[in-house]
Amino acid sequence: MENTLNDALSLATDPPVVQQRPMLAMSGIAKWFGANQVLKGVSLTVAKGEAVVVIGPSGSGKTTLLRCINLLEDYEDGIVAVDGEPIGYFVDARGKRQRMGERDLAAAREHVGIVFQSYNLFPHMTVLQNIVAAPIRVRGIPRAKAEARARDLLAMVGLTDKEQAYPVRLSGGQQQRVAIARALAMDPKIMLFDEVTSALDPELVGEVLAAMQQLARDGMTMIVVTHEMSFARDVADRVVFMDGGLIVEEGKPEQMFTAPRTDRVRQFLKRYNDRYRL
Amino acid sequence: MPFDLNFLIRLIPALLEGAEVTVELAVLTMLICVVWGLVVALAQATPGPLSWIAGGYIQVVRNTPLLVQMYLVYFGLSMIGMGLSGFASGLLALCIQNGGYMAEIYRGGLQSISLRQYEAGRALGMRRWTLYTSVIMPQVVARVIPPLTNQAISITKDTAQVAAIAVMDIMKVAQVWVESSANTYDVFLGAGLIYLCLTTVISLGGRIAERRLAFAS
Ligand SMILES: Nc1ncnc2c1ncn2[C@@H]1O[C@H](COP(=O)(O)OP(=O)(O)OP(=O)(O)O)[C@@H](O)[C@H]1O
Ligand SMILES: [Mg+2]
Repeated sequence: MENTLNDALSLATDPPVVQQRPMLAMSGIAKWFGANQVLKGVSLTVAKGEAVVVIGPSGSGKTTLLRCINLLEDYEDGIVAVDGEPIGYFVDARGKRQRMGERDLAAAREHVGIVFQSYNLFPHMTVLQNIVAAPIRVRGIPRAKAEARARDLLAMVGLTDKEQAYPVRLSGGQQQRVAIARALAMDPKIMLFDEVTSALDPELVGEVLAAMQQLARDGMTMIVVTHEMSFARDVADRVVFMDGGLIVEEGKPEQMFTAPRTDRVRQFLKRYNDRYRL
Repeated sequence: MPFDLNFLIRLIPALLEGAEVTVELAVLTMLICVVWGLVVALAQATPGPLSWIAGGYIQVVRNTPLLVQMYLVYFGLSMIGMGLSGFASGLLALCIQNGGYMAEIYRGGLQSISLRQYEAGRALGMRRWTLYTSVIMPQVVARVIPPLTNQAISITKDTAQVAAIAVMDIMKVAQVWVESSANTYDVFLGAGLIYLCLTTVISLGGRIAERRLAFAS
């Protein structure tokens, strides 16, 4: 794990030389909601072990972009690959873009963990059942092994004593940490986080961010959409700024936050600082 | 009306024999419709021609009287030379109609599940079968227990209509006894009490199931 961290750091610091294939490669993603184009040809590459934080004003397409990665949202153009394998759409022998069948899509989705703002735990299952359901039913892992792994993950997110609890009995922060553990239980190659702390009471935000920071430290490849600028500053290898369905600027956090190249980012950060006095 | 112990001693076993038929009809209808209603509901939820066939079926069976459906099955099938017994006709008609009602109950249950539950399952790599069996249906079942219990009660009461096609259920037994004894009040009081016992059992069963299946409370 330490190696992956070092890899990530070197990848983030060195200029992109000939390197191993990226963990995530999105190219030319275009998405319309009716007549409204919300993604205007977005391309984004994330290296193995890299933590990318996506920021940008409301409605700029951050959520939509994340949801396109594992085809929770369908999109009209572009392709995505995770660790070199297509997900959602692929290009066939004649160069035609084709949507994957249900079986292939499900198999591809196993490699992408996603955590939503609204937790979306399964309310009829205990914490432990939530975590082992997909490993057992989807990957066919024996129950005992799945449960052992689930307990390790619960220890990692600090919820060892809650394995028999039902989601409604947990605080928002606890539910969100279970959701993180549930996604990790599938051993994903990349984790996507969409404003996972914005529904939480302020005093619960820290525990969730801490779990995510730990994950980044352990070398997990991740994309984090967040309004928590301090998290972006402390954890991100790279910050991506989206506006109007496009990536407007990207760079290392210290550069983005102290010397943004574009006016759009400068205005966004100023508005943000005025509001939160950071 | 004079209280006639002798009469009651003969009436009660006869009514209980009818009750056996009533229970058979009600239980079979419920078992079949729990499955058939789900099939119709899932068909209706599947985009395409199946959906409007299922929708049309629901509309037709819900908006015509059970008795009419029963006569159509009983006399209609015998007209084309496929006559079924009164019991089988009654059962078929009960299933046709209640399949529609059950489908509506399931539809309500399915609609009450947030799309986010589907997304959470899909994002974990679940395919349709796994998604429905481990995520969606357990939640639907927990939610439809109260309306299904009501439906089971109404099925039990509706079985009384098979008396019209000469099936010896509680109701028919009661009618026969009334004709031969003119002791109308006692006979129907007895019949009513037996129905009440049956529906009370269903209510209690439903409440137990509800408590068993209620998660996290
Ligand atoms: N289901 C939908 N139907 C129609 N339009 C939608 C839908 N979802 C999102 N949009 C539109 O797409 C655009 C991008 O939305 P998206 O949710 O991706 O933005 P966001 O950057 O995540 O915003 P926020 O910071 O508020 O979460 C917005 O204009 C939004 O109104
Ligand atoms: Mg969003």
